[in-house]
Amino acid sequence: MENIKELILAKVSDAVIEDKQYLTVTVKPEDLRTLAKMLRYDEGFDYLIQLTGVDYGDSLGVVYLLAKSEDMAVCIVIKTATADKENPTLPTVSDMWKAANWNEREVYDYFGVIFINHPDMRHLFLTERWKGYPLRKDYDAGRDVNPLDLKSYDMSDTTVSYVSEGDGIKKIEKNLFEEEDYVVNIGPQHPATHGVLHFRTALDGEIIKKIDANCGYIHRGVEKLCEGLTYPQSLHFTDRLDYLCAHIYRHGLCMCVEKAAGIEVPERAEVIRTIMDELQRIDSHLIAWSCMCQDMSALTAFIYGMRDREKILDIFEETGGGRLIQNYNVIGGVMADIHPNFVQRVKDFIPVMRKGLKEYHQLYTGNVIARERMIGVGVMSKETAIAYGVTGPSARASGIHCDLRKMAPYAAYDKVEFKEIIRMEGDSMARYMNRLDEIEESLHIIEQLIDNIPEGDFCAKTKAIIKLPEGEYFQRVEGGRGEWGVYILSKGDKTPYRMKFRSPCMTLVNAMDTISRGGKIADLITIGGSMDYIIPDIDR
Amino acid sequence: MFDFSIWTNWIDQFLRTNLPEFWALAIEFVVVGVIILALYCIIALALIYFERKICAFFQCRLGPNRVGPYGIFQSVADMLKMLIKEIIPINHTDKFLFYLAPFFVLIASILAFGAIPWGNGLQILDFNIGIFYILSVSSLGVIGILLAGWASNNKYSMIGAMRSGAQLISYELSAGLALMTIVVLSGSMQLSTMIEGQKDCWYLFQGHIPAVIAFIIYLIAGHAETNRGPFDLPEAESELAAGYHTEYSGLQFGFFYLAEYLNMFIIASIAATVFLGGWMPFHVTGLDGFNAVMDYIPSVIWFFGKVVFLMMLSLWVRWTFPRLRIDHLLDLEWKYLLPINMVNLLVMVIVVIYGWYF
Amino acid sequence: MKSVYNYIISIFKAVYSLAQGFEITFKEFFTKKITEQYPENRKTTLVTFDRFRGELVMPHDENNEHACTACGICMMNCPNGTIKVVSKMVEAEDGGKPKKVLDKYYYDLGKCTFCNLCVLNCPSKAIHFQNTFENSVFTRSKLQETLNKEGSKMREKNKE
Repeated sequence: MENIKELILAKVSDAVIEDKQYLTVTVKPEDLRTLAKMLRYDEGFDYLIQLTGVDYGDSLGVVYLLAKSEDMAVCIVIKTATADKENPTLPTVSDMWKAANWNEREVYDYFGVIFINHPDMRHLFLTERWKGYPLRKDYDAGRDVNPLDLKSYDMSDTTVSYVSEGDGIKKIEKNLFEEEDYVVNIGPQHPATHGVLHFRTALDGEIIKKIDANCGYIHRGVEKLCEGLTYPQSLHFTDRLDYLCAHIYRHGLCMCVEKAAGIEVPERAEVIRTIMDELQRIDSHLIAWSCMCQDMSALTAFIYGMRDREKILDIFEETGGGRLIQNYNVIGGVMADIHPNFVQRVKDFIPVMRKGLKEYHQLYTGNVIARERMIGVGVMSKETAIAYGVTGPSARASGIHCDLRKMAPYAAYDKVEFKEIIRMEGDSMARYMNRLDEIEESLHIIEQLIDNIPEGDFCAKTKAIIKLPEGEYFQRVEGGRGEWGVYILSKGDKTPYRMKFRSPCMTLVNAMDTISRGGKIADLITIGGSMDYIIPDIDR
Repeated sequence: MFDFSIWTNWIDQFLRTNLPEFWALAIEFVVVGVIILALYCIIALALIYFERKICAFFQCRLGPNRVGPYGIFQSVADMLKMLIKEIIPINHTDKFLFYLAPFFVLIASILAFGAIPWGNGLQILDFNIGIFYILSVSSLGVIGILLAGWASNNKYSMIGAMRSGAQLISYELSAGLALMTIVVLSGSMQLSTMIEGQKDCWYLFQGHIPAVIAFIIYLIAGHAETNRGPFDLPEAESELAAGYHTEYSGLQFGFFYLAEYLNMFIIASIAATVFLGGWMPFHVTGLDGFNAVMDYIPSVIWFFGKVVFLMMLSLWVRWTFPRLRIDHLLDLEWKYLLPINMVNLLVMVIVVIYGWYF
Repeated sequence: MKSVYNYIISIFKAVYSLAQGFEITFKEFFTKKITEQYPENRKTTLVTFDRFRGELVMPHDENNEHACTACGICMMNCPNGTIKVVSKMVEAEDGGKPKKVLDKYYYDLGKCTFCNLCVLNCPSKAIHFQNTFENSVFTRSKLQETLNKEGSKMREKNKE
C-alpha cells in the first residue's frame, strides 16, 4: 500500500493521506475525478462499495469506499467536501462506477448536493415536493415543514441533469420515455415486485425497452432515526432493513460497534453468531427460491419452500425469542445463551433440509419449462456486475469472487471450511442455482460448528453507556443478498453522528434496467426473482 | 344399461297429448334451460371446492375446512360473497363492451355445455356435427376475453387479452386436429354415434398409437384453451396482476370465474366422450360376465367418473408446473404440437384405410 | 437428420423432466399435511416457545408485590417511547427520607418493537416478556396497558 500512497501524491499533490481502518485519502472536489479515474482505471478499484453523504457542519462531504474485484478485502476511502452549503455541487463519478448513480441521487435527496454531469439528478426516496434536506444537521423536522398530504400527484416524466458549461452550470431537462412508448406500471402494488417497488416499464409489444425504477415508497428514514438513538437502541432497526437477513445485518452493526469500542467478544458468542448467520442465510435463500418459483407461477414449490423454512423459524423462536426479527445479537455477544434444545433441533434440521433440496431440484430445477425460462435470461456480465457494484450470490453467478466470508473472514468463518460458489454464466439459472448450492454450503458450515460450540460466556460485559471514540468505522458483512455494510461517523458521543447502511439490494435494482432490456415481461419477473431484492433494504 | 330416453320420451308424450305442440315445446325448452343453468352453477361450485381441496393436498395443506364439515360449503359462501359484492364502475372504460364481455364468455361456455351427453339418453343437443359445434362455440369465449381486455382501458388487461387471442387461436388448431383424428376413426361427427361406436372398445384403445397421441395432444391443447396454469398467460397473476379481468369486480368477475371452471369441465367431458367412451361402460370383448357387471353401474356415474379423472390430471398439471413464457407457448404449439398432430392425422388415416385398428 | 434426431430427443427429455415433477407432487399428495388448525390446536399441537416475546409483563407475587423500583432505566433504554414510568414520593413509615416508588407503569404494546432492551437493562429484574401472542384488539387504545396492578407495592429486598 505504500506504493499507492506515492502514486496518489504524484497525481494529486495536496491529497491528505491517513492510515485508518482503511487507507483514507481526502481531496478537494476539483481533484476528485482525477483521483477517482486513477484508482478506477489504473489501480483496479473497480467496486464502489459505499457512497455516503455527510454533513460535517461547516461543509457537506461525500465518503467513497472503494474495493477491488480481484481482492474484495482491499479497500480505500476517498473523502471530499464542499464548503458551499447554499448551492453545493460536486463532480459525479457515476460514469466510472454505475453504482454511484443511485447513491448520488440519494445524497442529493438527503443533503441537496448536486452532482455535476450526473445523467439523472432526480430525487430517489423523497418526493419532488419535499422541503429541506433531512440528513443535514440544521434540518427542521417540524410537522409544518412537510405536512401530511393525502393528495395524489402525477409522476414526472422528465429528468434533469446539471452540466458544467464554461464557468456556469446548465440545467438540462430530458424525457424519460419516448413519445410513442407503451409505458406499463409494474408496481408499486404488484404481486411480483417483492414489496413496494415501482418499475415504469416501456414496452414494445411484450419486449422491454426501458425500465425506470422508482423507490422510496416505504422509506422510513432509519439513518436519520439512528442519529438520535444510542448504539444499542439503533440495533433494532437493522433487523427491519432486510427482514429476511435480520440476524446477519444486526451482526454487522454489532461488530462495527464492538471493534470501535474495543469490546472483546467471547468465542462462544462468535460461534453462535456464525451458526445463526448461516441458518438465517438458509432461511433467506429458501425465501428467494420459493418466491422465484411463485413469481414463475409454481405455487406448489413456494409452499414446499415455506414448509421447510418453518423449521428454521422454530429454531430462531426457541433460542432468540423472535421468528422473523430475532433481536438476538447484542453489543458484546448474544442476548441469551442457546436454548438446551438448540443443538438437537439444528441437527434434526440438517437432514430435512438436504432432503428438501433434493426435492426442489427434482421438482423445479430440472423442469423443462423452468429451464427454458431461466437459462440465458437476464444475463449479467462480469463487467456489468462490477460496474453496478453487485455483490452476493447474484455477483457470484457472474464469476466474481466476492464472498466476504472468504475474502475478509469475520466471526468464526476462518475456522470452518466451505466452498465459495462461483458460476460464470450470469443468467437467471446461475443465480438460482447459486442460491440452492449456498444452502448446501451453509449446512456444511453448520455441521462443522454445531458440535464444537466452545464453553464460556455468551456475552461480554459492556459499559452501561457505550460511547465510540471519535472516528470513522466501517464494517462489511456477507448478507443473504450481497454485501451489507455499515459506516459510523462518531464524534465521541453515545449516539452516532452519521450512520449509513450499505444496501445490497439497491445495487441489484439499479442493475435491473440494463440486464432486462430486450427481454419479455415474463423475463422481468424471472430476473426480479433471481436477483431477489427486498425493498425495505433499499428504502431504509 | 338404463336408457334415460324412456323417461324423457314419456314426458314429451305426456305434454304433447295434453297441450298444443307450441306450448309443449315451450315448457320443455324452459325446463331444459333451467336444468342446464342450475347444473352449470352446481358443477362450478363443486369444481371450485374440488380444485381447492386437491390443490391443497398437492401442497401439503388441508385446504378449506371451516365452512361446513371438511369445508364443503366454502364455495357456496364464496358465491354469496361474490353475489353481494359491489360492481365497481370504472371511468374511462367503454361501458357497453365492458358490461357485455363477461356474457360472451359465459354464453360460449353454456352453449358448449348444452351439447354434452350426460348419460344414456341424456343429451340435449345431438346433431350430426356435434363435435364441430362444440369446437366452434367454445372458441367464441375468446371474443369475450378480447372485449374485456380492450374495453377495460387498462394496460395489463390489454396485454392479457392480446396474449389470450394469440394463445386460443393457436391451440384451437391442435384441439381441432386432435379431435379430427378420432373423427377419422369413428366416421361420424355426431356425439351419440361416436359413443355408440365405442361400445366394444373405447376409441383410445381402438385407435391405439395415433389415438393415444391425439388424446395427449388434446389434453394439452384443451388445458391451454381453458387459460389455466401453466398456460394461464392471459391472467398471469405475477406479471399482469389479473390480466384481462383486472378491472372486473363482483358478479362480473364471478362470470369469468365460473366460465373458467366450466370450461375445464367441458374440455374434460369432450375428452371423455371422444376418447374414453363418454357414458359407455368399460367393455372387454369376450368377457360377457365382466361386461354385464360394468353395465350395472349407471351411465351417469361412468360419465362423471371419467370426467373427474381427467380433471384430476388437469389439476395435477396445474399445480406442478411453472407458467410458460409467451414465445415458448407459441413454440410448443407451432413447432411441436401442430406438426406432430398433422403427422398423427395422416397415420390415423392410414390405420383406418388398412383396417389396423381393433 | 441430426436436427430431426435432436427434435425427437428434446421431446422425450422434456416429457421426462415433467414426469419428475409429477412424481414429487404425487408423493406429496399422500404425505402428512402440515396445516396447523388454529384455534383448535391451542391445547394440542400449538407450541409457543418460552422465550418468545409477545407482551411485556410485570410479575406480581401472592402479596401483590412487584420488584420495580421506578428507576426508569427501561424507559430511557426504550428506542420508541413505549414505556412510561410514573413515580411518586412516599413518606417512609419510620420517618426516614421520602422514598420514590412506582405509581403507574404504562406500556404501549402497539408501539413496542420487542427489542428486549428494557428487560436486559432492568437492574431489579422486575419485568419480562411473556409468550402470549393473542394480542389483537379492535382499537389501539386497548393496547395501552398499565403493568403494575391496583394497590401493588414494591417487594422489600430484605424479606427473603
